[in-house]
Amino acid sequence: MLLPPHLSTFLLLALPSAVRAVFQDEVGHIDYHYELLGVPQRETTFFHRPRRDEKASLLYTLSDVGVLGAVHPSSGAVLWRHLLNGTLTDGGGFLRAGEGENWVAGALGKSVHAWDAVSGRNKFWVDFSGEVRDLEIMEMTENGGRKDVLALFDEEDGSSTVLRRLSGDDGSVVWEFKETTKDIPLQVSTNVEKVFVISLHGNAAAYNLKVTVLDTLSGKRLDELVIGTKGDVHSKEDVMFVGANSAAPIVAWTDNSLQKLRVNVLGLKTRQEFSLPAGAVSVEIHAPHLVQSLPHFLVHIKTASGNSADVYHVDLKTGGITKAYDLPVQRGTGAFSTSSDNANVYFTRITNEEIVLLSSTSNAAIGCWPLKEGELRSAAIYGVSEVVKKTGSGESFAVRSAVVTDTDDWVLVRKNGEIAWSRPEGMTGAVAAAFAEIPENEDLVKTLEQEAHSNILAAYIHRVNRHINDLKYLPAYLNSIPSRLTSSILGTEVSFKDGKLARDSFGFHKLVILATRRGMFYGLDVGNKGKVLWSNRAFDIAKGDKWNVTGIHIDESAGETTVLGSNKDHVVFKTETGKIVDAKAPEAQVSTRSAALVNTLSGQVLLAVGLDGEISSPPADWTPGQTVVTRGLGGELKGVTFVAADGAKLSPLVTWTFPVPQGQKTVSIATRPAHDSVASIGRVLGDRSVKYKYLNPNALVLAAVDDAALTLTVYLLDTVTGQILYSSKYEGVDAGKPIECAMSENWFMCSFFGQYGVRDDPDQIVKGYQIAVSDMYESDQPNERGPLDDSDSYSPLDPLDVPGAGGASTLPSVVSQTYVLGAPISALQVTQTRQGISARQLLAYLPDMHGIVGLPRMLLEPRRPVGRDVTPAEMEEGLIKYHPVIEIDPKSVLSHERDVLGVEKIITSPAVVESTSLLFAYGVDVFGTRVAPSFLFDILGKGFNKVTLIGTVLALSAGVFALGPMVRRKQIDTRWNAPM
Amino acid sequence: MSELAIPPVPRWAAELKNPPVFKPKADKIPDPPGYPSSQAPSSSKVHKVAQRKAPTPEEMDTLKLKKAWEVALGPIKGLPMTGIMMYMSGNSLQIFSIMMVFMAFKNPIMGILATNQAFERFETDSNRGKILQVKVAYVVMQLVALALGVWKINGMGLLPTTRSDWLAWEAQREPLEHAVTAL
Repeated sequence: MLLPPHLSTFLLLALPSAVRAVFQDEVGHIDYHYELLGVPQRETTFFHRPRRDEKASLLYTLSDVGVLGAVHPSSGAVLWRHLLNGTLTDGGGFLRAGEGENWVAGALGKSVHAWDAVSGRNKFWVDFSGEVRDLEIMEMTENGGRKDVLALFDEEDGSSTVLRRLSGDDGSVVWEFKETTKDIPLQVSTNVEKVFVISLHGNAAAYNLKVTVLDTLSGKRLDELVIGTKGDVHSKEDVMFVGANSAAPIVAWTDNSLQKLRVNVLGLKTRQEFSLPAGAVSVEIHAPHLVQSLPHFLVHIKTASGNSADVYHVDLKTGGITKAYDLPVQRGTGAFSTSSDNANVYFTRITNEEIVLLSSTSNAAIGCWPLKEGELRSAAIYGVSEVVKKTGSGESFAVRSAVVTDTDDWVLVRKNGEIAWSRPEGMTGAVAAAFAEIPENEDLVKTLEQEAHSNILAAYIHRVNRHINDLKYLPAYLNSIPSRLTSSILGTEVSFKDGKLARDSFGFHKLVILATRRGMFYGLDVGNKGKVLWSNRAFDIAKGDKWNVTGIHIDESAGETTVLGSNKDHVVFKTETGKIVDAKAPEAQVSTRSAALVNTLSGQVLLAVGLDGEISSPPADWTPGQTVVTRGLGGELKGVTFVAADGAKLSPLVTWTFPVPQGQKTVSIATRPAHDSVASIGRVLGDRSVKYKYLNPNALVLAAVDDAALTLTVYLLDTVTGQILYSSKYEGVDAGKPIECAMSENWFMCSFFGQYGVRDDPDQIVKGYQIAVSDMYESDQPNERGPLDDSDSYSPLDPLDVPGAGGASTLPSVVSQTYVLGAPISALQVTQTRQGISARQLLAYLPDMHGIVGLPRMLLEPRRPVGRDVTPAEMEEGLIKYHPVIEIDPKSVLSHERDVLGVEKIITSPAVVESTSLLFAYGVDVFGTRVAPSFLFDILGKGFNKVTLIGTVLALSAGVFALGPMVRRKQIDTRWNAPM
Repeated sequence: MSELAIPPVPRWAAELKNPPVFKPKADKIPDPPGYPSSQAPSSSKVHKVAQRKAPTPEEMDTLKLKKAWEVALGPIKGLPMTGIMMYMSGNSLQIFSIMMVFMAFKNPIMGILATNQAFERFETDSNRGKILQVKVAYVVMQLVALALGVWKINGMGLLPTTRSDWLAWEAQREPLEHAVTAL
């Protein structure tokens, strides 16, 4: 290669731009990202001033998916966030902040950690055995300004309760209190001089409350009190509230019928009873958390129709509790929150109509601000408020509340009744998602059907009439032409045509249906930066439960989407509007393992598969024509076909079973995607011969690990017959790390963490994340199609070894290669394009780098020559020399600088243009973009300057028009005025 | 004034328009060698050469046949040069090699089509049989030139001789039974 020096420099400079996954001007245009936290939990959300001497406060939360983060209250932007366990959790956890401290302390699972409140940097992280039950900040300690953390743990086997006081500086244990007992540790609380550990004592039939009083300095037990509950408390959920760091912490519970509220001031033996209004459905207690705050608390009582509240005062000297005042009943559930400003305690009541600010001392409202009509779409369930007393003349307050609504949104309501921001936190914890085409105009479909059913003449007249009728849209269409032209030139997009969703010619406008575990479903417009078009609640899912979606089916012709759940529940809604057409609430019993989208006589239907992999006999017109592959209770795979047992009735029959060998367990199963177009059935080699791809739509890849032998076995099965087509074994695999497989076209790949030998030094063994790629071909030899040769079809039921073909078999010839990855990957998916002409990319989430990477299939080619340079023929084929390590090139990260957190799954869908595949990732964050694995060869990029092009054309034509007559005149003049 | 207005045409100009008739000079100054007038006497010699004995029809036939063979073998004479150029131009698709391949096909085909015209002037009633042999040789030579073109496009990979060229017409094998997964 002897290029001129300037040319090679130019090529080098041009190279990065050629391989860049995303161009700068496409950011925010082709991709969209919802930076989410999860639905904030009531107990772990608060306003806190990260700097003592500044007034600005931030909103901190530990959400129900295990994300700890800080949000800017005025803009709603995420300042920092961490997915604590690396995966989504089912709620729980604790988050506290010491007054005036620049750090927040959190606890989840077995770890306690502290974070810098402004930057989100980790201050300390300590892991203990057992599970954390409560976390408190000791506001006042003996050593000056330091505030310590109290963490209550329940040992793993439930044999003992451990309370540790951790230093607020570095998380080291100051003292530890351990009690070997069967009691269930509940909470820890502290006032200025004592620490209280509250646990449930006794048996499940009737627990009593045990309060252990400890010394703050040494952790020595000072006293132990048992408070009888008269059989009201059966589980730890029955104890509603244990007052935190208020001057007089309390513990409260109700009787079974919600008629009496029983309150005990910690440290005292007595308990006081208060009667609750009739018809109470639930009771909540709100109290301040500051030591210097007045010991007042509010009891929020919800009834079926409305809500009311009582405010109680605790007498610090006697421990007596008196009711101070009560608040009137209002419609709806209402939400209360507590805020304190030094000694003053304020309660904020948020209803659908107004925000009311009350002082704990009197029932006269300090402020009342009506909410603007229709601002709050759904009812507030709970929230946190910040009350600032304005200095100056008179009593003036500013209040802002961050509330969680019943549609899982997190909304900040400002004092003037305006909504400052609304975050769709409910989109976290999504369990299923699917791409849907925007439904076509239904009326047109109907009229066309009508025409098809009438006789020719009537249909013709009808059509002519319809076309004449359509003429009334002509002026509007003509009017729209200039705006469409300008939008096309300026690059702005028109997504809505007369307020309705419409498809675009490139196929970028699609909907994504997203179902979350909280029972909500969302419709996002992919073409319009992922805008949430609608959201709706399918079912009320109890806290701690999950909506387990087994299948989504989008019926394009009917414009309806069916979501099938695991508890015999289903919901059918309009794809375009999210309006529920039909719904059946989940039953208590889980009865469905999965669902299969099968072809039947009456079109495609979702068929529910039972827990043991059995399929009950479906109605005759719902009987699938295909074999359904299910999983049994033991993890074995089964093939179920439907055969005529007696007469016309078809009944399911298990035709094959694939039990995973003893000691192995299935970790991942992959099949080819439903839409997997293959442009070419063979691969052309450098010498123009063809290696034919083994394209079996029934192939399935199953990865099974053996924990004892540390091996990973990958099986390739034919799902019609259950036969093993191929298997391979990888040794030294860590079964504890995620193993995932993906399959497309004629190849499959599995990613795992394992060990491998180094070629130069056989004794040296290195561990790392690997990806094993396998290609399947019809024959080892080029230009061979195996014994079936060029027959158009084959039956998988035929024997694999064809008699008379000289021992040739129809098994695939597999070429494999393993690469070492620079970073772990998960959520494997392959791009899908309309015709499959574009190269494919392996899409994966990088859990450590919080990004989505697109690895070109060319890089993961198993036929790359090992240990030698490529021959010219191989070079022509596009092969590059094998290099064991594939580093994650930042330029191939599709999410570029965005911090995409906790992606669980990626789905892809082809666009109309061949070059592009649509990508949608969900989990904690929601992220979507367009991927062009072979670059945008069929559409103009955003960088194409249409203005310049049209300007040039216009300028040139203007020049021609202006110069034309001049030139013509000159030519005539030269002819006539010839010099004599 | 009028005499001044129209000056008389100078002589050289008038003679340029109407050159004066050549007049042999009165004096005996000899013309320079090579001057036409000096060669005038030798014209009789040329005439003498022209008056050579006319060849017999047999001789004419032999001559014509000889000439025809030259024409027939013409295409092959350029072949080594063409071959070298084709080899040098490489097998990539460029304007140069495309033009060359075009010419390599156009010339022989046009030559074969124009076989009769090419030998028309050599053909007589007597040598018709021999000219036919020449024509056959000519066609063979043109085919050799054509073969060179075919060799070239084969080298360029434009001939559908390999399996991969027919790949697009081959159908994917479809299984008769299908399965769906519910996992």
